[in-house]
This record gives sequence, C-alpha cells and structure tokens, in this order.
Amino acid sequence: MNNRLCSPRTRKLKSIRPAAPVQLPALALFVACLALPGLSWASWASDAPDWLRAQISAPLPAHDQKTDAVMVYSESVLTVQADGRLKRLDRRAYRILRPEGRAHGLVRVYVDSQTRVTGLHGWCIPADGKVFEVKAKDAVESAVLGVDDGYLMSDVQTQSLQIPATEPGNLIGYEIEQELHPYAVGDEWDVQETVPVRETHYTLQLPSGWSYKAVWINSPEVAAVASGNSRWNWVVTNLEPVKIEEDMPPWRGIAARMVVSLIAPGGQELGFRSWHDLGAWYLHLASDRRNVDTEIKQKVAALTVGIPGMLGKMRALAAFVQNDIRYVGIELGIGGHQPHPAAEVLAHGYGDCKDKVTLLSAMFKELGIESYYVAINTTRGSVTTTTPPNLDFNHMIIAVAVPAAASDPALIATIAHPKLGSLLFFDPTDSLTPFGALRGGLQANFGLLISPDDGELVKLPQLSSDSNGIHRVAKMTLDADGTLHGEIQEIWSGDPAARQRFALRATTQDIDRIKPAEKVAAEALSSFHFEKAAIRNLHDAQRPFEWNYSLVADHYAKLSGGLLLLRPRILGSKSSALLEGEEPRRQPVEFDGPQRDSDEFDIALPAGFSVDELPPPIHADYGFALYQSESKVVNQVLRYTRSFEIKQLSVPTDKLDELKSLYRLIYGDERRMAVLKPAGS
Amino acid sequence: MGRHLRTPGMALLTLGCAWVVTACAEDWLPIAPDELKLAAEPAAPGASAIYLYSQVDRNDNDPSERNYERIKILTEDGRKYADIEIPYLKGTESVGDIRARTIRPDGTILNFDGKVFDKTIVKARGVKYFAKTFAIPDVQVGSIIEYRYRHDLASGYVFNSHWILSQELYTRKAKFTLRAYGQYALTWSWPLGLPEGTKAPEEHNGTIELETANVPAFVEEDDMPPANELKYRVDFIYSDESPGKDVNAFWKRFGKQSYRRVNDFIDERRTLGQAVTQIVAAGDPPLVKLQKLYARSQQIRNVSYEHDKTEQETKREDLRAVRTSADVWNRGYGDGLQVTWLFLGLARAAGFQADPVLVSARDQYFFNARVMNSAQLNTNVVRVKLDDKDLFLDPGAAYTPFGMLPWSETAVKGLRLDKDGGDWLAMPLPAAGDSRVERHASLQLSADGELQGKLTVTYSGLEAAWRRANERDDDDTERRQFLEDQVKYAVPIGSNVKLTNTPDWSSSAPTLVAEYDLRVPGFAESAGRRLLMSVGLFGNAEKHMFERAARVHPLYFEFPYQHDDDIAIELPAGWQVSSTPSKQAKEGDVLAFSSAVDQSGSTLHLRRSLTVNIMLVQVKYYDAVRGFFQTLRASDEQQIVLTQDKEAEKH
Repeated sequence: MNNRLCSPRTRKLKSIRPAAPVQLPALALFVACLALPGLSWASWASDAPDWLRAQISAPLPAHDQKTDAVMVYSESVLTVQADGRLKRLDRRAYRILRPEGRAHGLVRVYVDSQTRVTGLHGWCIPADGKVFEVKAKDAVESAVLGVDDGYLMSDVQTQSLQIPATEPGNLIGYEIEQELHPYAVGDEWDVQETVPVRETHYTLQLPSGWSYKAVWINSPEVAAVASGNSRWNWVVTNLEPVKIEEDMPPWRGIAARMVVSLIAPGGQELGFRSWHDLGAWYLHLASDRRNVDTEIKQKVAALTVGIPGMLGKMRALAAFVQNDIRYVGIELGIGGHQPHPAAEVLAHGYGDCKDKVTLLSAMFKELGIESYYVAINTTRGSVTTTTPPNLDFNHMIIAVAVPAAASDPALIATIAHPKLGSLLFFDPTDSLTPFGALRGGLQANFGLLISPDDGELVKLPQLSSDSNGIHRVAKMTLDADGTLHGEIQEIWSGDPAARQRFALRATTQDIDRIKPAEKVAAEALSSFHFEKAAIRNLHDAQRPFEWNYSLVADHYAKLSGGLLLLRPRILGSKSSALLEGEEPRRQPVEFDGPQRDSDEFDIALPAGFSVDELPPPIHADYGFALYQSESKVVNQVLRYTRSFEIKQLSVPTDKLDELKSLYRLIYGDERRMAVLKPAGS
Repeated sequence: MGRHLRTPGMALLTLGCAWVVTACAEDWLPIAPDELKLAAEPAAPGASAIYLYSQVDRNDNDPSERNYERIKILTEDGRKYADIEIPYLKGTESVGDIRARTIRPDGTILNFDGKVFDKTIVKARGVKYFAKTFAIPDVQVGSIIEYRYRHDLASGYVFNSHWILSQELYTRKAKFTLRAYGQYALTWSWPLGLPEGTKAPEEHNGTIELETANVPAFVEEDDMPPANELKYRVDFIYSDESPGKDVNAFWKRFGKQSYRRVNDFIDERRTLGQAVTQIVAAGDPPLVKLQKLYARSQQIRNVSYEHDKTEQETKREDLRAVRTSADVWNRGYGDGLQVTWLFLGLARAAGFQADPVLVSARDQYFFNARVMNSAQLNTNVVRVKLDDKDLFLDPGAAYTPFGMLPWSETAVKGLRLDKDGGDWLAMPLPAAGDSRVERHASLQLSADGELQGKLTVTYSGLEAAWRRANERDDDDTERRQFLEDQVKYAVPIGSNVKLTNTPDWSSSAPTLVAEYDLRVPGFAESAGRRLLMSVGLFGNAEKHMFERAARVHPLYFEFPYQHDDDIAIELPAGWQVSSTPSKQAKEGDVLAFSSAVDQSGSTLHLRRSLTVNIMLVQVKYYDAVRGFFQTLRASDEQQIVLTQDKEAEKH
C-alpha cells in the first residue's frame, strides 16, 4: 500500500474494484460520459480471451441468495525488472447474480506519477455468447472532485471503464496492465474479496538472482509453487467473502492478504525492511522542512508574549496551527508524502496535515521543545504490529516531548517513551480536540513515530472513558395534566463535544443552531418546544461544550384510568439497533472510543399523586461496557440516574450476543414507565 | 459564480461576432471601511461568509463571461470559500485572467501569486471537463477575499443562460449584465419574482442589466418544493423566431404545431383499427373498452423505464427509430411519450373522444405559461370524454393505475391540443383516499409483552405505483427487503418482519398487497403488576416528521395520502384491560387523524386513520402542521393498561 499522507480519500493503487460513488456535482457528467454516444465503439468481431472463456462453465463458489456476484477467477502477475521497476497484470472474472451486481461492471484503476496504465480491457459474455468488448479508449478519466473539504489538487486520477451488459447471469471480465515505479518496491495480493471467490492466482516473476519474502496476514500461509526461471505461483480456492457490516474493523484489517518483499542480488531487501527504514526515509524527505526563519520566530514571539508558563505557550502555538492555518491539500508527486517548508505554510496560512505538523514542530523548536512526526492511519486496525512496514498511512500528527515545566494532568494523551520521555500526541488538523487530548479514532491506534534516531511503531494511548461523554442534568416539574417543564443542562466532553461543535460550526444561519438539541428532544418527546436555549464554549475546545435549555413537553405523562404514566428517562438514547439485523453478525463491533455518559433527571411530581410502581434498578456489567440505572422518589421528586460506560474499544464476535442483550436491556429501560396513582387510592 | 458550472440549455450556431467589452471591472473595486470592520451581517445571522459584491458580465456575441466575487469571511468555516474551483470544458472553453487577493482585517493586502492548477474532473473521448483551482492565501476570520476571471465559452454557439440571484451565501450587492446575441430572438423572465427592492432587468443598447441587493442565502430543507422554484433567478431563452409579447398567441401557435405533429404520429387508422378489434370486444361497455386499451398500451415495452445501456448494447439491440403509432404497435416498443400517443390513437380508433394534452411535470419546476418556454411542457397525457366526464390517462407512465396520473403530472396545467391551438386544462389532484396504505394486523400478545401474528399491508393508488416503479429493476430478494424495510421503518426497533406472499410487481393494478409475519418483542412493557402498551404500533413512520421549529421554505407533499390501521390484539390468558385511552381525533379538511381502542372479549381493536390532503403548505401554516403531527405522536403514545386476573396473579 502506498497511501498519501493526509489524504481525506485513501486510495488503493493496486486495487481494482467496482467503483465507489464519485462526488457530485460531476457525478452526472461522469456517468453520462460512460454511456456517451460515440465514446464506446462496438467491436463486432470481438472475442473474449481464453482465460475468460474458460470460466463460462466454471462452477460457482458457495454463496447465499443475497450475493450479488461471485468472483470466479482472478489472477495477478507481478514482473520485476532488473532495474527494480514493476509490471503488473491483473485479471478478474465475475458472474453477475443479481441486479445489484451490475456495479462490478464498472472497473476503476488508479493512476498517479508512479503508476502508468499500459493496457485496459473489459469483456462481457452474455448467455447468447456474443461477446462485448471495451478498451482503454472507452475509459473515462477523472480526478478527486470538489474542494469542499480542502483537498485542492492531487495527481491521483482514476480511469473508469464500463463493461456493457453487466446483467444477472452474464459473465464479465477485465484485464489491467500497469507499469509501477513506487517509492517502496514491493507488492500486496488481496486474496479475499467482499464477494465469494472460487479461484485466485498470484504469480511472481523475478529477474535472475532475486528472491522474495512473503508474509500472510489474516490467513494461514499458502505455499508457493516454483515453476522455474525465478517464477513462483500461489493459488487459493473457495474463499468466503468479507462481509461488510456497520461499525466493523477496517476491511483490510481482517481480510486475507499476502505482502511480498523483494530482495535484490546481494541480499539487499528493497522497499522498507523495517519501521526504522521507513522512519529514516521520511526523515530524509522532511529533513529541512522544519527550519525556523525570521517570520516563524516573530510569529512565535507574538503568539506567546505575555503568556506565563511553558504549557500556556505550547497551547497558544497549538491553537494557532489548529485554527488559523486552514486545511488545504495540494499533493503532487512526492508531495503526497513530503511536507511543504514550515515558512511557506506560515506565509500561505494553509497546508495539509503534514504541513501543519511541520509548522507546529518548527514553532515548538523555537520554544526549545522537541517534537516528532507520527504517521498514522485514521482507521484503527489498519496498521498493527503484525503489518509489514509499508506506507499504509493516511494522516500525520505530532508527538511532543513534554518538558517537565509543562507537565500537567490535563495532558492526557501521553505515553512514557523509554528514550524520549513523556510524549504527548496531538493532531493539529483536528480543530475540535483540545491540546492534550486525542480523538477516539486515534486512540489505541498504531502510529509510526519518526525520531532522529529511529522509526518505530508505537501504540497511542487509550484515554479514560471519563474524558469522553455527555452528562445531562434535568430539573423538571410534572403537572397533573401530564405536561413536563423545566431546565436541562448538558455537558459534553471529548469526542461527543467535538461532534457537536462540528455540527454547530457548519451551520450557516443562527436558527439552525438549535437543530442538534431539537433532534435529541424529538427522538424522545412527541410534543415539545424550547423556551430558551444557550450554548457555551462552542469555540473554546479546551473547555467542555455546554447546552442549557428550558423545555416544555406537552402530554409527556399519559393519563389512563386515573393513573398517570411517566417515563423517568426524559431524553437521550444509549441503545442501538446495530445488532437487530436478521442475518447473523460476522464481524466484531468497533466503538469510536471509550465513553462514559450519565444522566441525573429530577421530576417534581404533581400534588395529589403518589408513586405506585417504579422501574426496577439495573446494574449490568458486561466487561466491555457497564450500564446502571435507578429510579427512586424522595420528597415527591422522582430521581432517575443512569450511566453508560464503554470500557473496551472492540467487542469480539463471541461477545456480540451480550452486546445485543445490553442494547435491548437499555432499550427496555429507556421505555419503562413509572405509575403514579391518585394519593390515597 | 466560480464554484458552479452553468449548464447550457440550448445551443444554436452563430455566425461569429465581435467581442464588446461590457461593464466588467478591470481593476479591483475600492473597499469600504465598513466592509473591513464587518464582524457579522445582521440580515444573515450566523452566516459563515457573505458576498459583499458579485458581478457577472456575459457577452453572447463572443461567448464569454467575466466574473468578479468579493466575499467577507465571518467564521472559521467560511474560510473554505477561499478554495476556488472554476469548472470549464477544455477544448471548447477556457478560463483566464485569474486574479485574486486577500484583504486582511487590518486593511493590508496580499495579492495571490500562487499556482493555478488545471485539474481533470472528467475526461473521456470528446469531453474534457476540467477545473481551474487555486487557494487564496492567509485567509482569516474577518478577511475579505476577492477574485475575478474570464470564462470564454464555446465559440460558434449561443447558449440559454440564467442569472442565479439566490446563492449559497447572502449577497449584499450583485450586478449582472448580458449582451445579447442579436441574430436570434431572446426572451427573459424571472418566474419567482425578484428580491425585494430589485428593479426588473432593463435593456440598454442590446445589453440587459440588473442590480440587486440583500438577497438571502439559499438554504436546503426537507420536504421543500424543487429548489429551482425557490431561487430567485432570471432565465434567458433564445429561439429562432421571436415568441412575441402575446402569451396566448404564443401558446396557440405552439398548440397548432404540436397538434399537427401528434396527429401525424397517430394517423394510422388501419393499423390502429385492427389493433382495437384485437383488444376489445364489440359488446364491451365503454369504460371496459377504455380500460382494456389502457392495459394493452401498458404492455408495450416502455423503453423509458429501462436502465441505461451502453452504446454497444444499444447498437447491438438495434431498435429502429419509432416514427408513428403504427411503429409502436407493430414493433412492440416505444418510449413513455410514444406509448401514451399510441393509446390516444387506439382510443380514437375505438370511437372515443380523446385529446392530446401536453403537461409540465412538477418534479423539477413549476410551469409558468407566461415564460413562454415550450420545452417545459415535457410530458403528455390523454384526455378522454366518457359520460360527460373527463378522464386523464397516461399509460406511458408505467405502473400508474387506470384513472390516475403519476404524481408529478397531477395538479398542473396542461395544454389540450387541437387544430386551433387548444386550451389550458387543470390536471386533477387525486383525493387522499385514492392513495392509501392500509395495515390490517391480527396479533397475539404474550405475557412477556411480545406481539406476534399476521400483518397485511395494502398499498393503493399512487402509493402502489411509486413502489412498483421504484423496484422495477430489482429482483425478488431486493423487493422483499424493500417491503420488509417499509414495515420496519414504521414499527419499534428490534421487530422481526417476514414477507410471506408474492406481491404483484409487474402490473399497474390499483393495489399492491404484501403479507407478513410480524413479531415485536417487548411491545408491552412491564410496570410491576401491570403491562403498559402504546396504541401506535406503526407510529414510528411519523415520529420524525417536522422535528424542527423553524421553517424557511413551504412544505411540499408529492401527493395526498391516507394511512389506515386496523389492529386486533388477542390478550394473553390471565390478563385483562384495566384502562384504555379515550378516542383521539383531530378533524380538518387538509389534515386529520383519529385513533380509537375498543375491546371485545379478550381482543383489543386499535384503529388509527391519518389523512394528509395537501400538496403545498405555505410557511405561515408550518406551525399548525407541526402541531398536528405532534398531537398525532402524542396520541400514538397513549397507553393501554393491562392487569393480571386475581387468579392468574396467585400463580
């Protein structure tokens, strides 16, 4: 893998998959181009190649009725040339089984400065045997579209080829030939797919005197068969698909694949032999980028003047890069990995993630503080200790050596490094997470720490669940007619606060600011209105975000047969329908991060009513999560308290029934009613 | 504006003209002190940025546009407007003379001297859709950014165009000019009117000009009419002859021409006469005859409803062009328009008084005859006189039941064609009761609160039609999932829904019937010795309607509808009803609901009816509509209280 750092859309250079949706507004034009009259010429004498024809009567791998297509054959051939350049041939054949399988007929191949497509063909063999054929000249080129997320320019492009007649029952196939000159020489074979695979082949052709090393991930090793002349073949048959499910680990983190390292004559391993190698390569790439010039010195001085203490100065610099340097991605050639000089980033007032890290690192240097690049994949599980060293990173953050003078309990995203001391991890691209903390997706994730002496894979800290959560306190009064009214305060911290800030900062009119609170209320209350509402600390990420509002909910308690039925849980839902699907779940469930939510709801009961029944208390500790709730009445006030803590970031498949039970338990608790009866009855 | 592609609506070959420089700014305009100081726009509270000034100068003689934008950044999020992307079609168009600068809050100026990138957006044979992109530097909250450029359009052509006054951002001031191409007739209109205080466009020496100010930002909302209907805009339409100023004369002329074309298409008496004899029996009553002709027309292969094909597939299939109704009949295929005109021919051949009607579907825009844009009459209907009643039929709209029109063709004006040009007719809007979702359930409640049993859902009228059209390309597995999801959306989460029958997906029968096994765990909640059960089993469908208190745009419903629920629940042995909520009802001509619970022995009957008999609701009535749905939700949450028999309690 060879992802670019800081790219909002990760790419797979060697991946050949049905297209993901393209961004609007050019989508319509893109689709129109695929079917544009005159764009694709009929080849009336077309014929399919033998490798595809051989699949016409091939048996299908095991599949269920929801399977939209099966891969009946795939073949990848990597030919290494003596100068280290690579040629790659990919062939795929699918049998389309359902209308949804038509998507497999859109072939997409990625191209950039290191990759050239030298051949592109697609075929369809329908039931009547009259072959359709399309070629490279029929393909549509497109780039990453839009600038809304600040991704301004990249040389990554795609070539998309629509295979005709991709109808259920038809056999389709395609062939892609590429010449590659990657920064890190090596290869990966994605053995497993999201559809069942009947037969998949990988062939490695090396120059004389070369050798290889193969590492299998998420799969037992499959032995290669040597066919002479430095040629090796691997074959795997009848593979189950990786089922894509909501909140699952990253696809590549669980799919079977083989990573191939190449060893030149003399035993020199190409590519990155170790994380150390990769770190050294990057350090060289960024060697002079953190130089401090006069403008940076002046800016640091201006930003820190009058601020007492080292920590305050560090926070001021971090906030400047977080908030005042706008995110703009311009990634051409090596610019996908190499940052712009810090001075340039400051002068432009914009940059991408590695640019922001570069500038902040330079500014810290001016304060006398050491800091380091940390390359990371924002999807936890994509890179682990079992992953061979590669460039499968898509983001850059910073690790700061915290000086003793700046030590503070608020700096929670830290680890004690054996050589570098206390290291604080910080993401200056994330303007919503304060200096000292780390958002959930980066926690307990592995990043490549690039220090002058080493490149090493380190595990980032997992923060306490207390640092993330929503705490709601309600002081309400219930009238005898069922109307509920009172004040609610919500204190949001960590990731939930970041999400709330993100939603609110994106609003373009004041009347939309109440929208998130309205949504929560509407989820729980059939009829309500806000009497007043206020937000605190929207722009101050160092402090918890707060909602304070007063609310009136008509018909909240229901009168029935003289009884007043009242739900102690006023609003906010912790339950989930994630595991309520009819098909058995196959993948573990991944949480964004640790979290602890709590509610304290006081409801003053109307005079003339007494409590007849209260919901039972709940204490459910499943190890990975803890849920507790209790209703009690003191002095005619019904007090409902509850807490929900996510303690572990992942729930394995053998615990999913427990997670489902927990969600159902919470769902029941959230709906349960207290019964009030007329006093004295 | 630089961030949006202007789509040409029409292209006519021109003879080449000289470029005349119009009122475009060659230099930056002066910055007013109040623009520098501005921290928030009182007329656009909460805005992330606003247009301080915007100018578009278009010249259709040497087709080109000069654009000038000045934007004030008010929040961090607003800085994204400093990332500029100007799309254009490479090869036929070009973008040049790009200048940009940042005016910092202290008034100092930083000119843009960075790189302008030429980015491929889509490139295929014959199409090169590129964009000039660049990032304006050092942009902070409080900065003013401005940029200008020249966009040269395809030479040799003249395009219809628009001035879009309602932008993504609030606009303090904007100026538009269009130097018209003189060899073709040009009409311009502003169908939604103009922003308050804006004078109508004026023509001076061949240049149309407009200045506007204080134009609100356009915001998107759920359930709103088509965006085109809500944005202030001026449309420019070229034609090869002047439409004149007399609206009636324009449509009469168009009506006559269209009538001739339709008549030419259906003038196949022998073929159609023979077809009629195959379709109907001589003794069939007129209504039955008409229904048979309609049903047979719908059996014609309607290529408008087939998914897109590649060029190769189309060529290989080699469908010959359809030129007459006889072609449609003999070859067995046609597009939706052709199928409807075939039906017209068949109806006439069967002796019916039938007229062609051209209508404008209301899914993209609302038709305005005064605009004199005949292209907006984009679909067709047949008016048949039967027993002095008008029937409006469109068999070319697949899956539409006899007697109904697809929703987009209802409640619109249609031009009935005749040799004299015709007249305007109003297409009917079906009543709510014509498009229903009826849910009948027979369920058993267990002592642990689970509901289980049979559910039958009958979709009728347009409720059936849109579902059939929506699922036309899907297989049984997907259709099953679709129908099950429709029920799951309405019932509590965690419910188990299994389709048990094989619905009729292929016809345009008035109803689509789906039968299910339904299981709702925990529907009744235990409260000590009681069980509590809400009356709104299917209430989730309306749970999130109109959550928001604020509303900017009118509400838009595609068609009136009615939901009727009839649920029988057999109580578990040993349990009895302690109390049921009183009957709930809210009567009204446009919105109504009723909800009632009856008991018969050990069976509870829950009946609920919701009628939504509206299409367009002005903003001033939004609170009333929201209040209605809040009352409905409160009604759905009313509780039935069950208690155990004394004897059962002992056990």
